[in-house]
Amino acid sequence: MARVLENVGKDLLRENGVPTPEFFVASTAEEARSAAEKIGCPVVIKALVTVGKRGKAGAVKFAETPDKTAIIAEEILALTVRNFPVERLLVEKKLDISQELYVSITYDSSEMAPVIIASSAGGIDIEEIAKTQPEKILKYPVHMLKEFNPYEAKEIWSDLGLRGRVLQKATMILWRLYNLFVKYDGTIVEINPLAITASGEVVAAAILMGVDDDVLYRQSYLSDKVEEGSDRAWRPLTVLEKKMIEVDKTEAYRGTARYTEMEGGNIGFFCGGGGGSLLSYDALLRFGGKPANYTEFGGNPPEAKVRGLVKGVLSKPGVKGFYMNLNITNNTQTDIVAKGIISAFQDLNIDPKKFPAVLRLAGVHDAKARKLCTEAGLDYHGDDITMEDTARIIVDKMKKAYPEEAD
Amino acid sequence: MAILVNKNSKIAIQGITGREASMVTKQALAYGTKIVAGITPGKEGQSVEGVPVYDTLKRACQDLKINTSVVYVPPAFAYDAVMEAIGNGIPLIIIITERIPQQDTIKFLSAAKRTDCTVVGPNSVGVITPEDKVKLGAIGGDNPERCFVPGNVGIISRSGGMTAECAWMVNRAGFGVSTCVSIGGDTFIGSPPTKVLGMFEEDPKTKLVVMWGEPGTRYEEDVAEFIKKKGFTKPLVAYIGGRFVENMPEGTVFGHAASMIEGGAGKPSNKMAALRESGCHVAENFNDIIAILQKVMEK
Repeated sequence: MARVLENVGKDLLRENGVPTPEFFVASTAEEARSAAEKIGCPVVIKALVTVGKRGKAGAVKFAETPDKTAIIAEEILALTVRNFPVERLLVEKKLDISQELYVSITYDSSEMAPVIIASSAGGIDIEEIAKTQPEKILKYPVHMLKEFNPYEAKEIWSDLGLRGRVLQKATMILWRLYNLFVKYDGTIVEINPLAITASGEVVAAAILMGVDDDVLYRQSYLSDKVEEGSDRAWRPLTVLEKKMIEVDKTEAYRGTARYTEMEGGNIGFFCGGGGGSLLSYDALLRFGGKPANYTEFGGNPPEAKVRGLVKGVLSKPGVKGFYMNLNITNNTQTDIVAKGIISAFQDLNIDPKKFPAVLRLAGVHDAKARKLCTEAGLDYHGDDITMEDTARIIVDKMKKAYPEEAD
Repeated sequence: MAILVNKNSKIAIQGITGREASMVTKQALAYGTKIVAGITPGKEGQSVEGVPVYDTLKRACQDLKINTSVVYVPPAFAYDAVMEAIGNGIPLIIIITERIPQQDTIKFLSAAKRTDCTVVGPNSVGVITPEDKVKLGAIGGDNPERCFVPGNVGIISRSGGMTAECAWMVNRAGFGVSTCVSIGGDTFIGSPPTKVLGMFEEDPKTKLVVMWGEPGTRYEEDVAEFIKKKGFTKPLVAYIGGRFVENMPEGTVFGHAASMIEGGAGKPSNKMAALRESGCHVAENFNDIIAILQKVMEK
């Protein structure tokens, strides 16, 4: 999935009839100050990053004056929240809150349905409420082949004890939130808190939203506003990771690959498929290997894609070896993979006889793959050896070639 | 006997004229699988490897008895294709398509649930029963006999590629397989491991099951519960890949989309502990599967 930044989420809320506090986006202290002047203090200043728990990281603060806003903005802009450097801020009107509610909508695999979780005790972690005040939480699966009706939203809030005009307002908001979740192919929409203000308004004070990034082709509104794969990494995507996404996009549905950079390491990791790469990485670590990155591929990629990916894998500074381990393929043509690897080595002027490399490439057309690799001087293995055994071979080769790097 | 597919399977391929689907059709026919029809709108009257193409599944069902459908339709059209198969009363649907919108998957899975239709996938590499020479999907490629020889071991795998690799380990240990099921690498799938284990329990041919698990979801924990409740009473040999993911910052995804550890849930170490506690044989290393199989099968 892809995380939606809070300003984009709040734009979506407003466009779909859910009130939010008035806000501006600022990327400097001065912009934050003028935002505070326009909105009127007190204001809330929040880091615009795609990770949660910003409050605990000190990236959500209040200010009573525009001057104070500028000072706090300066501080938050200097922060890094869970590996994400803060580049922009959200400055918004601080609400006068009388009660905090909670709403989330996600898909649930045991229900095989979207599930609404609502609570009359918002503002804190929902896990915390579940522990301390379970009677204040309601879980409601929605039958997706039918409609979700406003009366159902009303029943949810009524059961949680809401009454009067607040009940009516919260009903329409929950109904609209569900429709927004469906309309934008959401994977999660969480409003915490959904604030009831002193004047009786119901306002979405914060939104955490994720969308299905396989569906951006039918979400033209969001396609340029969210970063694909942004929820797969624990820090912003690196330059090389972004480049690899572009390589993967050539012939998008044929031979998919995903690249993640690891800290340090010296083995270029190019394994497959989804499960085989997990096994390969575990095995490398077990034998004392130091992978520098993680590339997982499968689905019969064309030669040019393999070539581009392998060049990326080998181009990371510090990579001094190459490990390609693949499960016996069902549909991936191993000769095509071999050609891509060989041409990448040629492009980079790497001599396979001097550079530690191990390939395990069994399956469709593997007689051809064996011939190609052997002729190119690559250490080829087929189904005569298990996937774990090849990990031991590359680790031994690395230790032999670079004894000074062995621990 | 076997599960899901056997010599009585009468198979239609939805999206048969696509590059991948036509290649797979050729391989399956060569293996001996009965593919009786293909569906691609606007292409009725054509044929793929001798298999007649229909515009609609409805017309194919009027001419032929079809009890299994394999979906190869691109992601944007997969929802409608699955609904077409459900609408025409096909009892078994195997979905190969990857990257189907989550919302669409939830919708067709809940529709399937209401009609007692069994769905395998999405994002499955297929199902194979070697004794009956039936293979659906790319599973086994152009050389299914390499990994899939007839025998008494069932396979369940969250990874398509590792389905073949597990079968090959069974082969190395000196045994063969009854049916191998690639259940799909997504979070939302039609046949989670417990469901397939229930089928293997009923199958007299299957004496033991090998399962490939991964981080994320509760599928393996559910299996442990299922075994405790005597839903599955035969020996189960399990391996959980991706143990390193536990030491990465939470929320990071490696491998399949479903393999995400969230809120401390979905950790391989917990899955392994739960499975061990239920009496299952958990392999510490993937290589160990061979020795475990030999030991357990000899009993």
